[in-house]
Amino acid sequence: MMPVGVGACPVGADALLGIKRQQTNPSRWQGAGLDNWQEFAVELRRRGVELRESIAARGAFATDAGGITYGMAHGVVLARSTDQVAALLQTAQQHGVPVTVRGGGLTTEGESVAFGGVLLDMTGMSRVLRIDADALTVRTEAGIFWHSLAEELRRQDLDYLSAPLNLTSSVGGTLGVGGIDVNSARLGCSADQALALQVVTPIGEIVECSDTHNVDLFQRVILGYGQFGVITEATLKIRRYTPLRMHYFYYASLKSAIEDLQLLDRNDASDYSGILTIMDCAVNLLVAFDSDERENAFRKTWQPQLRGHGELGFALRMLGRYVLRPWLLPEAWFLLQRKRELFPELQRGEYMRDGKMLDRSVVFSRAVWKMWGGRQMVIPDLATSSEKFVAAVELGNAVCRKYFPHYTLYCVGIKLRPEHRPHYEMSSIPPDAEDWAYGCEFEPMIEGRVYSRDHFQAFKNAIYDIGVDIGASNYRFGGMMKGYIRRIFGDELVDRHLAMKRRVDPAMILNRDVIF
Amino acid sequence: MRANTRVSARGSVRISAMTKPDHAACSGCSLCLLVCPVWQRSRDLAMTPHGRAKALQNGAAASDMLDSIDSCTLCGACRPVCPEEIDPVDMVIALRRYSPPPAAQVFRAALPALQPVSARVLLAGAELSTRLLARIMAQPGADLQVAADDGADIALALEAGVLLPQQRLEEFLASLRRTKELIVTEGLLFDYLKRWLPKTRIISLGQALSSQAGVRKQLRATDLYVIEPRAYHADYQRLVKYYDRLRQECGCDLNLDLQRIAIPATARSLPQRLDGIAPNDAAQIGWLLQGRKMSRIVVENFEDYVALAQASHCEVVYLADLAEGTQHAQG
Repeated sequence: MMPVGVGACPVGADALLGIKRQQTNPSRWQGAGLDNWQEFAVELRRRGVELRESIAARGAFATDAGGITYGMAHGVVLARSTDQVAALLQTAQQHGVPVTVRGGGLTTEGESVAFGGVLLDMTGMSRVLRIDADALTVRTEAGIFWHSLAEELRRQDLDYLSAPLNLTSSVGGTLGVGGIDVNSARLGCSADQALALQVVTPIGEIVECSDTHNVDLFQRVILGYGQFGVITEATLKIRRYTPLRMHYFYYASLKSAIEDLQLLDRNDASDYSGILTIMDCAVNLLVAFDSDERENAFRKTWQPQLRGHGELGFALRMLGRYVLRPWLLPEAWFLLQRKRELFPELQRGEYMRDGKMLDRSVVFSRAVWKMWGGRQMVIPDLATSSEKFVAAVELGNAVCRKYFPHYTLYCVGIKLRPEHRPHYEMSSIPPDAEDWAYGCEFEPMIEGRVYSRDHFQAFKNAIYDIGVDIGASNYRFGGMMKGYIRRIFGDELVDRHLAMKRRVDPAMILNRDVIF
Repeated sequence: MRANTRVSARGSVRISAMTKPDHAACSGCSLCLLVCPVWQRSRDLAMTPHGRAKALQNGAAASDMLDSIDSCTLCGACRPVCPEEIDPVDMVIALRRYSPPPAAQVFRAALPALQPVSARVLLAGAELSTRLLARIMAQPGADLQVAADDGADIALALEAGVLLPQQRLEEFLASLRRTKELIVTEGLLFDYLKRWLPKTRIISLGQALSSQAGVRKQLRATDLYVIEPRAYHADYQRLVKYYDRLRQECGCDLNLDLQRIAIPATARSLPQRLDGIAPNDAAQIGWLLQGRKMSRIVVENFEDYVALAQASHCEVVYLADLAEGTQHAQG
């Protein structure tokens, strides 16, 4: 079957030619004639799938967390069962109707925005199916938010291993792109925690897959950006719940902080680690522990080697900086304000017991949305090998300085699993990374200002150009950034994946324009 | 920024529910979904504050989502979690004004005004029977006066989106203006009374009872203490600390989720309240109790108490009854 509305190469460097890279509507599917949509809608309803076409139903999904791309689906399907998803994809394949899958909708490049066709809302499938407290596994519907999963696990004193520090990321969406947590330097990305998946392929087949069963499909769906199937159920590793004790170290230099982060990661010196900046002269290395034993070992062996300061020591150092450079007082004022706003959020009494943080994702996610959230968000990123990371962050930091008065960098390591190499192909994990990959998100603070889409896009392009130059990968290379795909991954790899995509999705309906 | 009450020239009180920030500020973070009992039941974005706000942003009108608007229980759980500080409760009340029920279904004949003789007044609400009221009043040091006009119809009008006649509101407030402390049973009124009577200390009945030392002594580490959600969420910043101290002191479990938002025991839509449709609380109570280990459930709100007493297999105690137990023990 000929793809409907797809050109010769959907991943060409000119894939977005004529609409520029700040486009909001890359190739809106026009229904291939109204009759085609109507026939599709009739057939879908005949098969028992509810299709919502009201403005309220469609308008609720008009944009994603990025708030820069806008698109209206022709109709919305709220996923209720795997069979229903299969029926939708079979019917969509027959009629050539694009299906865009959405979990938490936390994409920033329009990847979960439907530019016509059907928007499939997976959050309707968000029940926990089985918890095995002995085997430490959970089987869940994949539309569930990680936080909803945590709520159920905690009732049995259990917890997930690692998930994005965002309460409303969905399990399915995360497994499809990777997912990083502040314990990823020990446990790998969230997608590495998946033991088995139930997947509906683009032609509507329901397939169970894992590292030992239907291996090829498992490898392509994990970190596959939704191109090779819809994840409807997932079996994940879990663990016993423990609160954690957090330590913060402050640096005036990005380089020193990153080197210390990598020192800790290489030596398995902490259970959690990451970098969060207030400014590039006020860099916070956070380190945390699940047990007193691990914390004591860190204090004894590794803390003396860190170059960062405690809060008081760093405050005195900064005081010296501003006494000698009074023209930088506005910077000092910003740092002080930021400290006043952010620090209490990270230490709210109701989320702490005996000096330990009860739920890191609650604390950090609430702070992230409060401090950085808004109607528009851009978060370009770079993912590199350990060796290239300092250079990548410093170059990216220089770009941020040029485009925005204030911004935050979030850096974390990702432990790589050699047996999962095939999962990482054409993903955010850079092919030259050994043992660990490192990711940095560059997040400007919008602070009520108004920026044009051109400004945002030029900023993102400048960050991604660094990646192309130094041989890095990116986490968010889909959607509006897909013009970079061939530059990041090279023609051979992209063409191989494109050929696979065409084989499994003849009408190219599933998540069109996200990658292919 | 919070809502204000405005009096129109035509004699109606309009609560300016379309506060700033309103639906236009919604960033789509979905944090409201995680705490929403309607989401918990339906798993349908369209039935949530996020779904309504995004639909409004992108061309929908109130008439396009009446089911969603009616489904909201006004528990207020979404209020404290919204990073944009949108008030989704005010948003729903404003949207309900586009299709309100007949005023006659809500308002009742005027009740005799209170002649205040006490600094502490209790707005008992319809749910408190004479027997329960007597228990509360009999507590040591209560020094309480029960308001003859408890404003229950005003609470219902607010919930239904019916405009409040100025005269009715004035009658209600006139009797309360000289009160120093007002104890409120109906959680929805809690927030509005704080706006209408800014000089009066407003506290919930749950807090009034649970702050008594005798009551606290009766709470056990094996209790599940069920907080009334509406008042809790309306005064969240203060009460989250209050109940955290209660938990630390008594060791009891609380009906809070990981974000420290109260999980309601009952979740009733507007049609269920107005038309007396029999509620089915089993699913909500099931979620509240799932995986919790307790020997007894202590409940602040009478409606929750009735529902839990019917659905739970362990002992369920109304907080006012616990207070009476205190009195007997002391006597």
